[in-house]
Amino acid sequence: MARVDHGIRRACSGALLCMMLLLASSPHGDNTPVDALTVLSWGGAYERAQQRALFAPFTEVTGIPVEVHQYDGDIAELRHAVAEGKVPWDLIDMTRSQAKSACAEQLLEPLSPDLPAPAPDGTPAERDFIDGALNRCSITHSVFATVVAYRRDAFPGRRPTEIADLFDQQRFPGPRALQRTPAVNLEWALLSYGVPREEIYRLLSTHRGLSLAFERIDSLENLRWWKAGDTPVRLLADNEVVMASGYNGRFFDAMINRDLPIDILWDGQVQEHETWAVPRYAAHPDIARDFIRFATSSERQAALARLIPYGPSRRSATLQVTHHPDSGVDMRLHIPTHPLNAERAITKDDDWYARSHARIDDYFQKALLDERKDSEAR
Amino acid sequence: MLRFLGLVVLGALIGGLAALAAVGFVSAVLWLNDALLISPRGRMMFAHPEALAITTVLVPALGGLVVGQLHRAIRERHPHTPADVIAAVQTRRGRLPARAGVLSALSGLVSLGAGASVGQYGPLVHLGASLGSLSARWLRLGRSDDNVTIACGVAAAIATAFHAPLAGIVFAHEVVLRHYALRAFAPVAAAAIVGHVIATNVLSSGALFHVSDTAVPRPWEFAAFIVIGGFGALVAGAYMHAILAVGRWAGRLPVVPSLRPALAGAALGLVALWVPDILGMGQETLRFATIEGAFDGIELVTVLLLKLVATALCIGMGFGGGVFSPALVIGTLFGALCGTLIGNAGLAGDTFVFYAVCGMVAVTAPVIGAPLTSLLIVFELTGSYVLTTAALASVTLASPIAAQLFGRSLFDIQLAKRGLDLSAGRGRALLQSARLKHLLSQDCVTLQPSTRIDDAVAILGHGGHGEAYLVDDKGRYRGSVTLADLEVMRERDRGRRQVRDCPRTPRPVLGPEASVWEAMHQLQDVTGEAIAVVDDKAGDAFLGVVYEASIARAYLQHSEALRREEHGTG
Repeated sequence: MARVDHGIRRACSGALLCMMLLLASSPHGDNTPVDALTVLSWGGAYERAQQRALFAPFTEVTGIPVEVHQYDGDIAELRHAVAEGKVPWDLIDMTRSQAKSACAEQLLEPLSPDLPAPAPDGTPAERDFIDGALNRCSITHSVFATVVAYRRDAFPGRRPTEIADLFDQQRFPGPRALQRTPAVNLEWALLSYGVPREEIYRLLSTHRGLSLAFERIDSLENLRWWKAGDTPVRLLADNEVVMASGYNGRFFDAMINRDLPIDILWDGQVQEHETWAVPRYAAHPDIARDFIRFATSSERQAALARLIPYGPSRRSATLQVTHHPDSGVDMRLHIPTHPLNAERAITKDDDWYARSHARIDDYFQKALLDERKDSEAR
Repeated sequence: MLRFLGLVVLGALIGGLAALAAVGFVSAVLWLNDALLISPRGRMMFAHPEALAITTVLVPALGGLVVGQLHRAIRERHPHTPADVIAAVQTRRGRLPARAGVLSALSGLVSLGAGASVGQYGPLVHLGASLGSLSARWLRLGRSDDNVTIACGVAAAIATAFHAPLAGIVFAHEVVLRHYALRAFAPVAAAAIVGHVIATNVLSSGALFHVSDTAVPRPWEFAAFIVIGGFGALVAGAYMHAILAVGRWAGRLPVVPSLRPALAGAALGLVALWVPDILGMGQETLRFATIEGAFDGIELVTVLLLKLVATALCIGMGFGGGVFSPALVIGTLFGALCGTLIGNAGLAGDTFVFYAVCGMVAVTAPVIGAPLTSLLIVFELTGSYVLTTAALASVTLASPIAAQLFGRSLFDIQLAKRGLDLSAGRGRALLQSARLKHLLSQDCVTLQPSTRIDDAVAILGHGGHGEAYLVDDKGRYRGSVTLADLEVMRERDRGRRQVRDCPRTPRPVLGPEASVWEAMHQLQDVTGEAIAVVDDKAGDAFLGVVYEASIARAYLQHSEALRREEHGTG
């Protein structure tokens, strides 16, 4: 019975998409071949996985080609485009904190929480998605994490087990690389004092908390700052640093596909939500919404998580994550939301950053970067 | 049996009510603190430094203004506190007033929300107790059951606010009931469990502190913990007396009482511009004090003193709120100071948090008069047995020293100032608060001082009494005579004289407000059938007599009621 039901549902959604395709393409009919969906995403291995799990299947079902542009997460360009009234993208893959800022600046279209389809077993989307996934202008599709990775060969006989070890150059000697932003670094610095994760942002709101964190970061010798997401992997690969912060997906790629001798320290991982958002003045907002419904289905989310280790935002999708189709790696162990990895995870407080980042950046700049520019990595 | 089970179920229900009220209260305070730019998080997320400085002064001052107006609606003109709960239970009066309960909770909410340096546990305890007492009144239960339901509300409030059910149960027994009867234990435990379950499901954050350290102190450090306890008692004494002193000083200020909190709020806000740590309950300050190196020695002393003065000012000038949370902060700062000193001497290892917690317990236990509760709070919040043992070492000296020097708790000191002395236990307090009025009898022989002795003997004889009371035309008491005295006069042939010439042995009299306790004491010096009750204030007006037998009966009844309440099993 359940299987039949499932089949009917799939048939229905297929029919819906076909109808949408007809509606979307008929007015323009002969002038333009078919309207393409233009997506702004992050490039690299991430985009390749999206291509395979989401974009290609979407084109297959609807016939709508997907054109992908790349960006580095900055919303300045979006702001500019909305101000001009001409936005070249239909859909943006952005972090939840950026989406919240952009939503507050009215750069995004509102999205209904009913947009995603229910889970295969009929659980409504609101209960199937993790907390904080369905926002006014954005819908979380994956959870990624900033973690610390270390060279396996750097510390003979021991390995770091907790985030405080990042700052312990006595027991774990060697250069470090950290992202050149206050985010994540401040959280880790305070965690290393034994502050429980529930209190991190409350304590970081005080000057005392900030200066404790800066002091801890400043105590690191041989610190390199990175900006682009592939730098930490390169620094680790070249043995220029022994521990580096970075995105878990990039480290996974280096570990599995490039066989680098590195491991991930999951303790203290800072989780962020990656969302879909539709910009204002998008040329094809309806196709974008249909794509969101397609791409946030449990099946597609699980397919993406089999290719790249980002935690699906749906509980039903997390249960379906299995092995990588090519390498056979058990992807469940590599997604940030796996219970073993998430034991001491922090969820980045977007609201806090959204409303205080200007000041925090300022303090960060003054406390750490002004006298340290020389050691910056390209 | 059925009645007892009913009481347990009622305890659970009250626990649920009190816990929900506590959850609502705590959430409302947090929301207000964020919205009114009191909490660090709210302040950090606010972009305009000038406006922030203005609100820092304005919010506590306006909060004080509101609180002052709220207090005008309370009969006593000040918010009720756990001391009132203790008094109601210890004297078996029960029946906490609903109106004052609601207004006190509201005053606590506004005070805490506006950032006054006060605690939230006092208002929560009083709120829980009021709910318990109301339920008892609503169900027309007796005074003993009223006491139990009050304790249920208290236990649930503490269990919810601290996420610590054992501490809730022990607090209700140690501070409020002050006895351990099974009859009270079961409903109180039920209430605490319900409170805890609700807290873990609804109040996800809000635990006071977490400690993940697993260091073990060296043996000699336990000696240091004991000594910290001794000095902590002195800090606690300074804290309590500062609050009382500001209260006395505020009474002499030429400012309308309802405006005093606003004044204190403005002063607090001004100082907070430089030292924001003193605003509000100070949870962040408490947490930082457990981190080695977060404060240096000078900062610790400064913040400790300022927090102490700020709290004394806020509470003494009439903000509503408790004394426990600030005591936690002050104690932890004090412990951190000790830890820093020992660390600077190069003695301690990584046991800094032990010193902080020892200081915390050493100051809070004497203030609320609850050593066991303080220990259990440490245990339930940290789950660390070593830390609890260290805290035990420090409370060993802290509580007795403070009790010797200052009193069992701040509540007891406040009650003693109001005339309710709990230092000799509940039995005495109960008898001291039990009034004689309803024992007053008019069934006695009163004589005009000008009555002839012969006539007096006859009147007494007919009345069947052995004593007569001389009352003049204006109703004033003029002494008493016994039949024996009169007979002696008559023997000597002086029967025609007036009664006022009869020699009288001076006998004590009682005032209209005298207590059973006082009467029992007078009885030791009196042989006779009754004691006259005379109103000094109304020109020695004679009000009637109290028979010795009824005093003894009242004494026995009160003792029996206490015995039933404290030793009953069901």
